[in-house]
Parts: sequence; C-alpha cells; structure tokens
Amino acid sequence: MARKKENKEKLYLSDKPPLTLFGKIGIFLTYVVLFAWVYAIVWPLFQMFVSAFNGKQQQYIMANSNFEFSIRHFQYLFTETLYLTWVKNTLIIAGTTALLTLIVVSFTGYAYSRYRFKGRNASLMAIMLIQTIPTFAGITAYFTMHSIVSSIIPQFSRQMMLILIYTGGAIASNTFILKGYIDSVSTELDDAAKIDGCSNFNVYRLIIMPIARPMLTIIALWSFIGPFMDYLLAKVLLTSPKSYTLAAGLYTLVTDFRTMNQPAFAAGGLLTAIPIVILFIALQKQLVSGLTSGSVKG
Amino acid sequence: MGKYNVLLYDNIGNTYERKNKYLLELALLDEKIKNEKDNNIKSMLKKQRREIKKNKRNHPYIISLKDYEKKENEFLNDLKKKRTEYYNKLKADKTSRKLRKLKTRLFESEKKLDFYSEYVDLSYEAEFEYKKANLDTIHLPNIIEFLVEGQNELNIALAKKEELKNLDEKDFRKEFKKFKESRKEILKEEKLRIKNLRKQGLISRKAEENALTELKRKYKNVLEIKKRESIKFSNNEFIKTKKYELKKDLKTMLKVLEADISDFRRKIPVEIEKTIPYYSYLTLLVPGLGQGLNKQYIKMLLFLIGTLFIYLIAIPYALGYGNYQGQGIAGLISLAEGGLRIHKSIIFMIEGIVALFLSIIAIGIYAISFIDVHKVEKNAIKGIRPSNWFETKTTISEEGFPYIVSLPALLIIVFIVLVPIMTTFLLSFTNMDPQHQSKFTWIGLSNYKMIIMGQGLAGKVFWQILGWTVIWTLAATTLAILIGFALALLVNNERIKGKRFFRTIYLLPWAVPAFITIMFFSIMVAPGGVLTEIIKNATGLRVEIKNDPTLTRIALILMQGWLGSSYIFILTTGVLQAIPGDLYEAADMDGATAWDKIRRITVPLVLFQTAPLLVTQYTFNFNNFSAIFLFNGGGPFNPIKYGNLAGSSDILISYIYKLTMDNQYQAIGAAITMFISLGLMIFTFIGFRNSKQFKEGRL
Repeated sequence: MARKKENKEKLYLSDKPPLTLFGKIGIFLTYVVLFAWVYAIVWPLFQMFVSAFNGKQQQYIMANSNFEFSIRHFQYLFTETLYLTWVKNTLIIAGTTALLTLIVVSFTGYAYSRYRFKGRNASLMAIMLIQTIPTFAGITAYFTMHSIVSSIIPQFSRQMMLILIYTGGAIASNTFILKGYIDSVSTELDDAAKIDGCSNFNVYRLIIMPIARPMLTIIALWSFIGPFMDYLLAKVLLTSPKSYTLAAGLYTLVTDFRTMNQPAFAAGGLLTAIPIVILFIALQKQLVSGLTSGSVKG
Repeated sequence: MGKYNVLLYDNIGNTYERKNKYLLELALLDEKIKNEKDNNIKSMLKKQRREIKKNKRNHPYIISLKDYEKKENEFLNDLKKKRTEYYNKLKADKTSRKLRKLKTRLFESEKKLDFYSEYVDLSYEAEFEYKKANLDTIHLPNIIEFLVEGQNELNIALAKKEELKNLDEKDFRKEFKKFKESRKEILKEEKLRIKNLRKQGLISRKAEENALTELKRKYKNVLEIKKRESIKFSNNEFIKTKKYELKKDLKTMLKVLEADISDFRRKIPVEIEKTIPYYSYLTLLVPGLGQGLNKQYIKMLLFLIGTLFIYLIAIPYALGYGNYQGQGIAGLISLAEGGLRIHKSIIFMIEGIVALFLSIIAIGIYAISFIDVHKVEKNAIKGIRPSNWFETKTTISEEGFPYIVSLPALLIIVFIVLVPIMTTFLLSFTNMDPQHQSKFTWIGLSNYKMIIMGQGLAGKVFWQILGWTVIWTLAATTLAILIGFALALLVNNERIKGKRFFRTIYLLPWAVPAFITIMFFSIMVAPGGVLTEIIKNATGLRVEIKNDPTLTRIALILMQGWLGSSYIFILTTGVLQAIPGDLYEAADMDGATAWDKIRRITVPLVLFQTAPLLVTQYTFNFNNFSAIFLFNGGGPFNPIKYGNLAGSSDILISYIYKLTMDNQYQAIGAAITMFISLGLMIFTFIGFRNSKQFKEGRL
C-alpha cells in the first residue's frame, strides 16, 4: 500500500508532454525576460515613489542624495500649492464630461445601431474622418469662441469650454464603440418589446440601456479618466492656477521656475496615479473588452 | 390648368369612385381629351369643359352640395349651443372633468351620426364624419362605463380608508411580527443548510450564490403576501392600483379609439377641386403657414417656431445684426478690414462661420417645410387625406426618432468640432502672424505653396520635421507593438506561472497617466538625474541625453516603446485568450513546431483582430504631442538646422503648437494642421474602406 502511494507521487500527471532539457532552458529564459521587463517597469515607478518620500531631495531630484523618509513633499503639496483645488476642479470637469458624454452617446449609439435613416452612412463616415483631426487643431478658435460666448453669458467659464471640448471629442469614437456593442444585441428583443407596445424611447430605456450597461460604464469611465490624463488643452485654455486641472497644475511644478519643485511633482503624480491604477487593475477585464469591441468599428 | 383623375387613391393605392359628380364630369372629359387625336374634336371638348366650369354654379351636384353645406353649418351651430348646455348641465351635476368631456363627446357624436347619415353618399367628408361618429358611439359608452365603475370603486375604497383611519390593527401587527420571526428562522436554517452543502463541496460557489438570492427573494415575497392580510394595507394598495388603472387604461382605450379613427382617415379619401399644389410655393418663405392651410395646426406651430428662428436669429445674424463684433457672413470676406481698432479679424471670421452654419440650418428648415407642405398637398389632390396630429406624432416618434435623439450630438459636433475646424481651415488661407494678430487678410494659397516648395518660415523645416515625424511614428509604434506582442506571447505560455502578477505589472505603464511618467523620465535623464548617473557610473562616459539630438531621439523612441507596449500587451492578451485551444491541438497532431504554431496561427489571428487598433496606434503616435513636448520640449535646439522655432526632436504637432501658441504664427500652423489632417484622413479612409464591415455594407 505504501509503495503504491509512493508510485503515485512519482507518476507524471500533467496532460502536457514532459519538458526536455531544451524546453527547460527555454522556460528559464522566458522567466528571465519577463522579470527583466517587470524590473524595467517597476524601477522608474519605484524611483518616483522613493523621490516622493525622500526628505533629502531638494527642488531638483538628484541621483546622489541620500534617502531619508519624510512626508514633507506631500505637506508642501497640500499647503504651498493648490493641489486640493486642482483635484476638485478635475473631479468636477471629469464628472460633467462623463455625464454629458454618456447622455449624448447613449442616444446616438442606439440610433445608429437600430435605425436606417437618411444620411446615416454619410454622417458616420464624416464623423469617422473628422475625428482624425487632432482636437488641438481648433485651439485658436476655442479662445475666440470662449471670449464671444462669455461676453454674452458672463458665467461661461473656461472650464465649461473645456468640458464641451472634451465631450465633443468623445462623441465620435464612443458612438462607434457603443454602436458596435448594441449591434451585437439581437433585435428580436426590440421587436418583442415593440409588439408589447413599447415606444421607441421605452425600448431604449427599458431594453437597450440595461443590456448596454457594461459598455456604458466603460464609456463613462474612459471619459472620466480623460481629463485626468490630458494636460495640453487644460494648460492652454485655463489661465489662472485656481482653475487648473490636476495635470495642468502638476505641470507647473516642473516647468515654472517660480514654483519648481520636482519631488512635490513626484508626490502629486503618485497621488494622482494611485487611484487610477487601482481602477485600471480592478476593471482590467471590462476595459479590455471595451477596447476590442471598439476595434470592431474597423 | 391641371387635370382631374377619374378615380381617387389612398396611400396604399386602393382606388375609390368620385362622389363629386361635377369633378367626375370634368375628369371624364379630361380623359377624353387626353385620348382624342383629332384636334378639332379636342378643341371642341375643351370648349365643352370650359362651359362646364363656367356653369359650375348651376351644376345639379354643386347645388345639392351647397345645400348640404348650408345645412351642415346650421347643424353645427346648433350643436355647439346644445353642447355647451349639456356640458354645463353635467358641470352642475358635479361629474368629474374627464367624464364630462367623454360624455359631451358622446352626445355630440350621437347627434352627428343622425345628421350625417343622410349625406353619406353625397360627399366623402360626410362619410368620414359619419363613420367617425359611429365609432365614437360604439366605443365611448364602454369607456364611460369603465370610468364610472372605476371611479365608484375608487370612491368606495377612499371612503373605506376614511373609516379605517382610526382602526388600530394591533392584533395583526403582532401576528405579522410573529410570522416574520418564524420566517426569519426558516431563512436562517435554509441558509445554513446551503452553506453546509457548499462546505461539503456538493455545490459550486455560483450555485450557492444563486440559491441564497433565491431564498432571500422568497422570504420577501412571503412577507409581502402576508402584509396584504391587513385590511388597511390592502385597501391602500387597492386605491393605488385603481388610480393607476384609471389613468393609464383610460389613456390606452382612447388611443385605440383614435387609432381606429385614423384607420378611416386612411380609407376614406378626400376630394378637392385644387389641381396644383400652389400652397407650398406661396408659403415657401414662411414655414408653418402651409401646414396651417393644410389644417395641420400643431405641425404649424412647430414650424412657426422654426420661422421665428429663421427671421429673428438666423437671418439677422447672417446679415450682421446681433453679432458680437462681426458682420455676419459679410465678415468672412472683409475680415474686419478698415474696421475699428478693437475689431479683430479672427472674431469676424468665427462669427461668419457661425452665421454660415445658422444659415444652413435655416435653409434646412425651409426645405423640410416646403417638402412637407408639397407632399401633403399633392397627396390631397390624389385623394389621400392629410394626417392629423395623432398620426403625425406617431410618424415622428417612429421615423423621426433617430434624428431627434441625435440632435444634441449634432449641435455639439457642429459648434464644438466643426466651427473650430472650419476656422482653422480658413485661417490657413490668411496671413495671421505676429505682425498681423488683430487684423489679417486673405492671402490665398501662399502658405501651402511655401510648405510644398520648402520655402520661408514654415516650409524650410517642414520636410525635415516631417521626416523625423515619420521615423518617430514608425519606430516608436513598431517597437511598442513588438514588445507588447512578444510579452503577451511569453506570458500566455501555459507553463508560465504567475500570469496574474505579470499582467498586473505590465498594465502599469498604461494605467499611470502618461504625462506623469513622461515628465518623470524627463527628470531622470536630466543632468544629475538618476538615469544619467547610472549610465555615467556604468560606462564612465558623461552623457547628456537632452543635449544630443540623436540620443534624445533614441531615448524618445525607447520611452514610447515602454509606454505603448502596455496597451498592446493587454490587447493581445485579450485576443490570445479567445483563440480556441483545439486549433493548437490540431496543429500538434500534424506535427507543427512551436514556431510554426506562432507563425501560422497566433500571429495571423491576432493581427486580424487588432489591425484597426494598431492603425490607430500609428496615428496616435503621429500626433503624440505629450511624449515629445514633455520629454525635452522638442529640443535640443539647433538653430542652424531648424531655425529659431523648432528643435531637433520636434514632430509636426509640437511644431504646430510652437508656431501657434508660443510664436503666434497661427496661419502657418493652420496650414500645416490641414496638411497633416488631410493625410491622416486619407489614411483612415483607406483603412475604413478596406474594413470588412464597410465592404459588407453593415457599417
């Protein structure tokens, strides 16, 4: 009995063929490459992490300074800069952008997926082509448009302009993504609902919306993250530090000589990156599915 | 003069005899004239036709029609009086408003039924009125009965509620509490049982979850049912349902009636004397008027709003009234030339463009209105009855739905995307530069000419920068794709352990906002930065990456490889996991080596699925402003080769940024923007054309 057990342990149970020596070396090399890349990724991020907590770092991050744990860069960030205002601004801008995009896109995605109306293909093609032009192209016009509108409606701030620009830029591609997703939902559901007396709007509200919720979540998420990532438009359009978004604000910490403080930038970058990274890791699967279904647009 | 058809048509092509004998006579003559070849007889027939038209008043049919119209008028006037009387009487009886309305309608219909029955054969209008009244008299009594009964029941329930107000259901509450507790006990036991099953490994986790939710639902349901044993609660619930029923069901019933009437609208033709749809031409300039003449009043109101927009907003604005500074469309030509000092050409241009878009919208409204009136009129001549609001509403909510819901998107796209792009496009034909900030003029194609010929400020460095841009795009993107793809393949190897770990780590460069990592890289390679020191210690050389064009470029490409590979890795992993394993098994059976499998199965499949996204990666890097600008500001600068504006690692987009934002050469920047946008558009268009969906017409 005991022998039998011993045999069983030695028995090769995997359904894969046993590795040859050559294969073993291959696996080993693979691990070497993979860990090398892990190192390549983690090392710069780790440097950022260390610099943010290194009390010895002065205005510029230097290689040869020693390490001394301190949170003074964070303190600097919260007391000397407008970091919290920037966070608030970014949250407001991102939230409004996500909401607007969601409302507008959920309608267009549904319309383009389910209806064959006049001008549909032409407009699809037009949007497709227009979105290749970088948003930045219109920057000269944005300034002037803002000054025209704000002379009529004084409440119209540059942040609102920014929200509209972000939304405008998000409509085209997200319409494609959502359209692709709704296309994959069988129209039999719609037909059944219509036979039961649902109006078009109710089909959208009661049938399509709940089914498309995963994709809508992704779209909302992407448009929410967008303003965190973009610094170009924010930097160009927003003029006073009080109205900056995070990206534009942090940017001043490394470029403007008056406010230059690289370790504080590292600290701020860290604080900004961590929630986003957690979000990405948690929603990895959904984000990827959003990507690939976006590819269906062709 | 137009001709009459012998028969009338409805919109599905059914034919009907004319009831108007006078028009029938004319129509028959028209047909004869058409078929007659002999000119003499033809002119004779024409004369005869004119005769008939002249003697229209004495035509027997017209006489009887006039008589009918007179009587109808009297009848309607009389009915109006009676109706008001009846209505007021009901009001005195304190009937509810809904019921009052329905009863009055029934009363009217009964009277109408009486009156019109005599004239059914005389005209289609009378027939329609008759049939409508008939339908009303059939359906309305049921609806009224439903309403009365419902209201009675509701009143009883409400009275009961009043009675029960002071009733204290102590016993029931006690009983309910006891019941709830016992149920809770059962729920707990059941939960325990299922958890035990799970512990013993008899059911899966998913099954456990499902069983638990089902239990909870059951528990809630039982409680809800028990609650209804309370008299008070069930009475309240009854009131709620009844109220809902009275509101919704009544609406549905009326809708059904309306739909039945609409059916008659479609089946009973109209007969009119008009042969040319002249309303549409006459009212062309006032959208809404024509709809009014067609007796579609709500539609008229909607179009009148459009008219207001046209005459109060679009046209004045296009003419220059109500502008902020500009002169409407005219401002596009003048560009504030000779204007006041504070007048700015750019404002004139943008207002001109906005005026242009407003005009396009106005023309759209004119066109839609004209087409609508024209169609309705033409149909009426053929015999099709103009649809009423009930039908129009249905059509709008059916066919107009996609337009209505896309409207916000359209507005945003027009004003936030199209107007700026249009501005940039027009700017590229002007001379807006540091000397001409406030006032600039049209200079035609010379900006483009300079770029193409490689002359002047823009042209000299353009081709050099374009060259580096292309190298950068190809090298950085390809590197990222290769790294990402290779890593995905390696991690996906079934013998590799710790897949989750690798995937999480490899996600990081994508997840951390790019501007943060790029700036940090920039800090690290600065003189005295961490990377610089490491290189110095390792090789003994003092390298200053940021001051050496070649090194900067290499560093940029490597950095973008680092940044971009993450996205490709995630993408490829997703596709790899979806490849069915039996493909590889089949390959194994046929004796394929690992390399064969990658080459013949993996690569083609992954490429096929991700190709469009890879293409967007190239366009993304072509315009990857952040990487270039944040890393080294486009530098190092090399004035001999690149002039004073651009640095040696600048790509076109960052060059445009420097031209427009830093140095105010907006016109040249715009020209370059248009240049590359055109290139990208063609690139995308070709990709789009070749995509599977486009070819299959499935868009």
